[in-house]
Amino acid sequence: MARTEKRWHAWMSWDYEKEEQWLNELSARGLHMTKGRAFRSEFERDESVRYTYGLDYQGGLTKKNGKLDEYIALYREMGWEYVSSYSGIWHFFRRPWEPGETPKLYTDRDSLVQHYKKIQNVMTVVLLANLVILFANFTNIVTRLDGAMRWGVTVPLLALYVIVFSLLGYGIAKMNRKIKEIGGERT
Amino acid sequence: MDKTKQMLPLTEAFYYILVTLCAEPSHGYGMMQEVERMSGGRLKLGAGTLYTALNTLQGKGLIEPRPGAEGADARRKMYAITADGRAVLTAEVDRLEELLAAGRQALNGRF
Repeated sequence: MARTEKRWHAWMSWDYEKEEQWLNELSARGLHMTKGRAFRSEFERDESVRYTYGLDYQGGLTKKNGKLDEYIALYREMGWEYVSSYSGIWHFFRRPWEPGETPKLYTDRDSLVQHYKKIQNVMTVVLLANLVILFANFTNIVTRLDGAMRWGVTVPLLALYVIVFSLLGYGIAKMNRKIKEIGGERT
Repeated sequence: MDKTKQMLPLTEAFYYILVTLCAEPSHGYGMMQEVERMSGGRLKLGAGTLYTALNTLQGKGLIEPRPGAEGADARRKMYAITADGRAVLTAEVDRLEELLAAGRQALNGRF
């Protein structure tokens, strides 16, 4: 029975390709991811195998609508073993490592651009949703609290939003750059 | 601009998937193998690329799911080309023929 280990990490969505590379490097050293999480994934130690990992971003796939099974079945036929999903959107796959070129889930520019755009769109939606929430919160705070309390709540809240907005803004810009780097969208 | 023309030019993946389905309905893995064979091993569709292409083509009404044969694996989704799909493929072949003719003519040295 293989031993389970956990490892901390903090990969952002826009760095998913670096996360793949990190998983591949760990796998080369005998540590194979078995459950992908946001900050603490599970690994199994086994020096006798080595995998190539692939991370895929797909929303709207559930067991209930049957799309998840179809999706996993198609990837399996293409040689990718399903490992786990995180938050129902990130899906982790792996295949036995082979010498030569590292296999990729996305093999042409158009589908890769589409994949990047999908990630970017979700960040944009979250950013806009947070803007709405921020305004709603502010109206609430300004009308209900007064004096020192008003500032005691507003300042930390604003600080939190600054962080959230900067991260999302950075992510959106980063995806834009990645799309441009591979030749941009088809006109 | 009509709907057919809007789809052009097709990506290689879209084009070859439609070509493959023109012959007979197929599932994802079968298409991938057929595309690799037709392109002499040059085009190996990744799982994500194929999955995205099938979803996009289905969304545009160029292909449609086809119930599999009795006893077939239900998760193995079969696809067939639609009339719209054939129209788009025909238009793309015409477009490519024009490109090829012009390119060949130029290369064969008509001064």
